[in-house]
Amino acid sequence: MAEAAKILVVDDEPVVIKSAERVLRAEGYDVEGALGGREAILKIEQNSYDLVFTDLKMPEVDGITLIRWIKKSNPSIGIVIITGYPSQDTIKEALELGIIDYVPKPFTPAVLVDVTKRAVEWTAGRKPEEKKITEEFPPAMAAELDRVINDYKIKPGCLIPVLQRAQEIVGYLPPIVQKRISKGLNIPQAEVHSVVSFYSFFTMKPRGDHNIRVCLGTACYVKGIETVLCKIRDTLKIDIGDTTENRRFSLEGVRCLGACGLAPVMVIDQDTYGAMTPKKALGIISRYDPAIAEAVLQETVEEEIVEKEG
Amino acid sequence: MEKFRANLMLCAGTGCVASGTKKVKDALIEEIKKRGLEEELKVVLTGCNGYCAEGPVMSVYPDEIFYQRLTVEEIPKLVEEHFLKGRPYQKLMFTEPEKKTAIPLMKEIPFFKHQVLRVLRNKGLIDPEKIEEYISRDGYQAEARALTQMTSEDIIKVVKDSGLRGRGGAGFPTGLKWEFASKVKSEVKFMLCNGDEGDPGAFMDRSVMEADPHSVIEGMVIGAKAIGAHKGYIYVRAEYPLAVKRLQLAIDQATEAGLLGKNILDTGFDFELEIYQGAGAFVCGEETALMRSLEGKRGMPRPRPPFPAHKGLWDKPSVLNNVETLAQISPIIINGSDWYRSLGTEKSTGTKVFALTGAINNVGLVEVPMGIPLKTIIYDIGGGPKKGKKIKGVQLGGPSGGCIPERLFDLPVTYEDIVATGAIVGSGGMVVMDDNTCMVGMAKFFLEFTADESCGKCTPCRVGTKILLDMLIDITEGKGKEGDIETLEDLGRDIIAASLCGLGQTAPNPILTTIRYFREEFESHIRDHWCKAGVCRALTTFWIDEKMCKGCGACLRGCPSKAIVGEKKKPHKIIQELCVRCRSCYEACKFKSIKIMPAKYEGEPSELVGAAEAVKEEA
Repeated sequence: MAEAAKILVVDDEPVVIKSAERVLRAEGYDVEGALGGREAILKIEQNSYDLVFTDLKMPEVDGITLIRWIKKSNPSIGIVIITGYPSQDTIKEALELGIIDYVPKPFTPAVLVDVTKRAVEWTAGRKPEEKKITEEFPPAMAAELDRVINDYKIKPGCLIPVLQRAQEIVGYLPPIVQKRISKGLNIPQAEVHSVVSFYSFFTMKPRGDHNIRVCLGTACYVKGIETVLCKIRDTLKIDIGDTTENRRFSLEGVRCLGACGLAPVMVIDQDTYGAMTPKKALGIISRYDPAIAEAVLQETVEEEIVEKEG
Repeated sequence: MEKFRANLMLCAGTGCVASGTKKVKDALIEEIKKRGLEEELKVVLTGCNGYCAEGPVMSVYPDEIFYQRLTVEEIPKLVEEHFLKGRPYQKLMFTEPEKKTAIPLMKEIPFFKHQVLRVLRNKGLIDPEKIEEYISRDGYQAEARALTQMTSEDIIKVVKDSGLRGRGGAGFPTGLKWEFASKVKSEVKFMLCNGDEGDPGAFMDRSVMEADPHSVIEGMVIGAKAIGAHKGYIYVRAEYPLAVKRLQLAIDQATEAGLLGKNILDTGFDFELEIYQGAGAFVCGEETALMRSLEGKRGMPRPRPPFPAHKGLWDKPSVLNNVETLAQISPIIINGSDWYRSLGTEKSTGTKVFALTGAINNVGLVEVPMGIPLKTIIYDIGGGPKKGKKIKGVQLGGPSGGCIPERLFDLPVTYEDIVATGAIVGSGGMVVMDDNTCMVGMAKFFLEFTADESCGKCTPCRVGTKILLDMLIDITEGKGKEGDIETLEDLGRDIIAASLCGLGQTAPNPILTTIRYFREEFESHIRDHWCKAGVCRALTTFWIDEKMCKGCGACLRGCPSKAIVGEKKKPHKIIQELCVRCRSCYEACKFKSIKIMPAKYEGEPSELVGAAEAVKEEA
């Protein structure tokens, strides 16, 4: 390493900061401490750091809020969480926010050094551009994946539930994830892949921030989902199964969402929208992306002009 | 327990939630608080009410007043009128389209009037997330009786005598299935529930799982006792998150209450239940495929025998029942087989739930006695066609089923009568089509589905459906040839004969029935290059009949390619070179002056009548 990595340790207990400082300084890292989220934000505003270690449960500004703020204002800083309560929900939330790893509290010096080393390598490798998940993925994701694999391992027929959880954690199922699952469950990789490719729920392509699912059921067909789908395709310039270049939207066609009473139906993320027309659908999609909103507005203005002339 | 003056049962099924239940609920609660009525009125979120088209819907008990299309803006007025002044609020009631009179009571609204609720007995009446409410409607009584007073043989006898047939599609007698499995000796057996509702256009099972999850669990415990199983799985589509959530909650509550799990009701009988989420494959609705999928493998069917009753999940004796079938079990146990047989016909007893959708006025979930004519369902309950349209037929049984033309609508809905038409009752999807639907396009739609969902194991199905689909695509694009219809029929029959599972054996049904009943549409596509419904773009041109055009400009304004010209109050004209055949003018015209003509039609608009013959001669 050319330069010592700069690390900020955030915790409301001074003893944690002290011990982290002692361990990591001995390893040659440049370590500072902050006694809470607020202090951490002020420090990050003034100095630049490579890594932030943060506790989750802190008075005033808590860990999750801090992580959100860092991800927004300084996305290049790598984040590792230190937590005494590695409950599934908080870790899942943190993972979704894009943390690299977590250290359970209390920790031994060896664990801390190990995690730090990996995290520094990860951040260094990722800069300036984010490394793609197809090559490697954050250790925390791997750890979470391994945890899921271990939980389900003993259950018969666990491959599909594991794949479902894995897709929740990573977002999709690239070969590297399948390989890990294959090893963990002791199932041949070919079999894992055969299951992934068989079920339409699983995807090997990354998805966008928002997943648009258009219902291709009979009722929706009779009520004209085709025109809605065409409009979405044309506007987003993607086909079914693709993701827009800016990774904002993915488009999926699904077989009947079971909301036929509202046909034609479209679902974005978890929200169902019924009685779609091409125009209404675009209006809803544009709520998720201002750029599209502008395009739609332009079109409506043009239409209005035509209408007035008519 | 607290008592309330009125219970406001607000529908929280998927349909109504999408129409805005959540906002309406918040507004209701806020308004009730504002008026100081929170100790008199209780808002309850229920499962799917069935009348999805008019959502969000709410019924007020004990008066049974039914409100529809609730909006946040109308809530203050509704609370004031109904609950302060005691005058039910007419504006939000169902209004009869012709007489314009409001119908306040739910049971008098045509959509509900003809229905008999057995499977959906608790719909809209209970909060599906509370076990107490299910119990208060006689829930788990049947389970208690089955576990404490009945032997396995007793249960099987009642179910067998009731004549209940599997509601998943094939209609196999449920009691018989249980009997087979109970006679097999094995330490380990499985009781399974099929909630992998993959038929496009069907949502009965989703509604039952969402509105009354305990009824499914109770049915499974009784079935488990009958066959001697101690472990069960409910296989649910991952696309139904609300159903998964409510089932899980119901399982937890039932286990907590000692109605599920170890030593149920202190009888020494154990039955553990787990939810397994499917991953999206239509073929997994087939029983052997579903079991493969439960084992964590590719969901491919295998030959039978051995039947699952002997060798099913992990090669152990297993019974798989559909959600709707299981929901019928507890009333049968309580009321007996004669009660169940009192509705329906000799061979098709009881009631069946249908998901009524498509080109009719009232869409939603309906439960009717078997043997009722199709006409009653479509016209009386469904409210008939949309204004100015004509019903052409109905698709029953989704991609495995077939299309029944309007002229056969006197047909009673029973397993036998429907099969005789070439369709199947199936799981209960009922999609009504009017003259805006192209039947060739419809057959193509279903083939796209089955060709995509074929698991690939049997060549006739994998390759055959693809060939059928390619031929249909050619026909809709004007590349059809003489003899195509016969080839479609022959190949279709071959696929049926040579496929292993229900998917392949039924995949050609939509084509075969549409050819049988709508052959002239196929012929006009192939010979005249004319899609009379105006759906297949390559086979359609739109023309304005100058005599009928009033020059209102409705078509001109709606035309996306600006292909329509004409002055106000004078007949308009479509410039064919610019027309993209999107149909929007056809839909927009109130005077029916837009005519759908064949692709090669070149004549004058005034000659439109009888032009088809001219084209035929040219060809």
